[in-house]
Amino acid sequence: MSSRSENFRRVLGRVVQQDFVGRAAELGRIMAQSERANAGRGLLLLMEPSAGVSELLRQAYDQIFNRRSDVIPIYFAFTRNETTAVSAAIEFLNTFVQQYIAYRRDEPVVSEAPLTLQELVELAPAADLEWIEQLVESYKRLRFSNDDKALVRFCLGAPQRIPAGRGRAFVMLDGSQLAEYLNGVVVLGTEILRVFARGSFSFVLAGLRRQILEAAHDAECNFERLDILRLEQLAATEAAKLVEHVARRQQVATSEAARDLIVQQFAGSPFFINIYLQAAREKRAALLTYLDCERLYVNELFGGHIHRHFADLLEEISPRLDTRHLLIRLLWEAAAGEEQISTFEIWRKRLHMGAAELEDVLHRLHVQEFINWDETTVEAGAGPQAWKDYLKIRYRLDVMNEPRALVVADMLADSLKRAPHTMARHYKQVANAGLRDLISRFNCQPVPAVLFDYQNFSTKYKGAESETIISGLQAETDFFKLPQTIHLASCSAFMSDMRQLCEEEHCLVAHTFEEGSYSDAREVIWLAADIESKLEVDVAVARAWCERFESMAERIGFSRFQIWLISNEGFSEDASKLLERHKAFGSSRQQLELLASRVRDTVPSEVVQSSEPDEFLMVVPMGEDNELIAANTAEQIAKRLTFRPEAINQIKTAIVEACINASEHSFSPDRKIYQRFRVESDRLVITISSRGVVPANLNGTNSSTEVKQAAEERRGWGLKLIRTLMDEVEFERVDDGTSLRMTKYLRPQKGT
Amino acid sequence: MSVCGPREGSDQVDTSSGGLVRSHCVGTTAVVYASDYLNKLSGEKIERECRRQLSCGCRALVIDFSDTQLVNSIGISILLGIIDVAEKSGAQIVFSDVNNQTVELFEMLGLTRHVVLAKDEREALLNLSHFETTTPVVH
Repeated sequence: MSSRSENFRRVLGRVVQQDFVGRAAELGRIMAQSERANAGRGLLLLMEPSAGVSELLRQAYDQIFNRRSDVIPIYFAFTRNETTAVSAAIEFLNTFVQQYIAYRRDEPVVSEAPLTLQELVELAPAADLEWIEQLVESYKRLRFSNDDKALVRFCLGAPQRIPAGRGRAFVMLDGSQLAEYLNGVVVLGTEILRVFARGSFSFVLAGLRRQILEAAHDAECNFERLDILRLEQLAATEAAKLVEHVARRQQVATSEAARDLIVQQFAGSPFFINIYLQAAREKRAALLTYLDCERLYVNELFGGHIHRHFADLLEEISPRLDTRHLLIRLLWEAAAGEEQISTFEIWRKRLHMGAAELEDVLHRLHVQEFINWDETTVEAGAGPQAWKDYLKIRYRLDVMNEPRALVVADMLADSLKRAPHTMARHYKQVANAGLRDLISRFNCQPVPAVLFDYQNFSTKYKGAESETIISGLQAETDFFKLPQTIHLASCSAFMSDMRQLCEEEHCLVAHTFEEGSYSDAREVIWLAADIESKLEVDVAVARAWCERFESMAERIGFSRFQIWLISNEGFSEDASKLLERHKAFGSSRQQLELLASRVRDTVPSEVVQSSEPDEFLMVVPMGEDNELIAANTAEQIAKRLTFRPEAINQIKTAIVEACINASEHSFSPDRKIYQRFRVESDRLVITISSRGVVPANLNGTNSSTEVKQAAEERRGWGLKLIRTLMDEVEFERVDDGTSLRMTKYLRPQKGT
Repeated sequence: MSVCGPREGSDQVDTSSGGLVRSHCVGTTAVVYASDYLNKLSGEKIERECRRQLSCGCRALVIDFSDTQLVNSIGISILLGIIDVAEKSGAQIVFSDVNNQTVELFEMLGLTRHVVLAKDEREALLNLSHFETTTPVVH
């Protein structure tokens, strides 16, 4: 039976199948685990904190339930309400019996109905009555035996008691809320794995990755019988889909810019996205602008779902109020300061705790990934942005006793100021993902050597048609064999001070082997930087980068290294000579793209009549001289208004310049230029918008310094031209990217 | 490989780079024709052709804009680069048949301070022939 058929019944899933987005691969993996071929095997679902796992398991449950095979789905979620391992295990036994009967009776409603064990026995099908009665009787005897460990093991082992021929259980345990230490003698996580790993049924145990892995080691599991699936935050595109689906379900109005900010602000966390949009629904808040988003976010930090989530965690980590305040202070000061790494002893002194108590606190913080603790050193400053913001407000309110109104206002202002930077960082990462992807694909492919030599490439191919370049490259006889990349990371991962000099994705260190031969002699470290420049990079910049990399190589001890600098427009003659002297490679963006195509297409524009009677909307893809399409459209519209030919040409040039600016500097995520032409009786108003980063030279100012610099650089003239050619030029305030409004007034022609 | 030529009076397509830049030589003057839209790509083609002509011995350049409808700022920055190259080579440069709107742009961005404008190709060549007869060649 197809799970997508009309007869598909929702049992435990909280959303319909179609609304469950972003975890298709993981769901497929869990379904595969339930197959007969994996009988007796366990799957550890190692979750990054706040990555969300409950709905994934519920969806898997529903799919298996609807399949009506011999696999009986059991889903059990540990909750923080269960205070002991015994009570949690008893709850598991109840759930197991209930869901077994629901499946056997093929009645989804039984799965979550509030029924006692005795009522369940009465609902058991005749064929199952005997063994279920025996199970319940045995449980009752053990319940009063005072042997907690035996009782826990009995309850957890219940799925093994299903008689042959009555199906086989597939148990999915949701341990995302599994309390670290429940009272009593039994450590629940460890006990679960001891019982399940030795059972004959398949299971999935999902939970915080550090916690579950530790439990598996403590239970001395046979890892040959365990599979591992890592569950991380959603990728940006999947997270954007999730925001759209949840917002629609919760009836929260959102804009694309707000959607993308939510995704980035919560780093693609399904947990935070869901509770945040739930809060929006509860407050009937529309999320259309950055201000809407940040206002709700700050409300959430101060008293909403996000506040409660972190407050509960902190209370669990440090139940005593006085210690909790000290902990908040220590965590925030470490996160905000330069020195994030400290010792156990310093923490002990600052928190006035005994060693055992501190170990417990640090362990809990470590499991939640708020710190990294290796028993000797404590590295603070980890955790999601929302956690850091929460710590900051708690510190200011609880430790510094600052007025609440001031803290609220500051947090809102800070969040708003941070929003464009958050998006800019994301756009730049996406734009530069190409370099990382390219280097990671190096695998001994032979490529034309000219692709690493800008001067040679420029002499041979600058200004040539792409077909000519491609055929020229095919005819090249001088080849360079790429090494094999085995490890790739940003420079700042090796030297934190590099973070001040370049964005993470702009500057990479790749450990490679020539010819794929793993020997000292063949090991080469590639040091690559993508330099932002509108012009050919000059000798001073090239020298600075070469010296920077050489110094880095010396400090870290890279004996053989290869410097590779990339710049949009390549390198000046002097810079190219310098690169040659340093035995460094230099490539332009064009060479990089040609290289990428070796190591591994234009969309028509659309003109739409807007809802306004005298307004035209047009979207064109960036590049491929598409600015001409926009300019020609403007010409046709301007002719209707009887603009003089000179004025039409001025409008066309201004549009071309605006489009070029949008294409060149915006790191646009969708690579599109949005145009609006509004015809008024005495004027034509044209708005050119693009999403992405606001370029420094397009910030709406027109200082004399800017014009002077532009003239000196021979580029960056666009805005100056636009301002001269059009009558009014104004930047409209938009959250995401740039929107330039240009107005040209219709002047009566001479003689009319 | 750079191809020197062309014979006097004949049109030339720069086949070595594949760029379709029309040019021809009149004596030691190369006439290079700009396309209808002068942008980065077409500007670079013109630059390449001018460099090629200078390396083949031309002592003056005429860039003809009779077909050019639209010019963008990147195209203009490349023209400035060509003017620099010509100056360094001791070659004269004249822009011919530039439409009024483009002249306006050139003036706005200061190009007209560095280059002579002529009504058409004939006038450009006439200006240059006057220069050739009055300026000695320094080797």
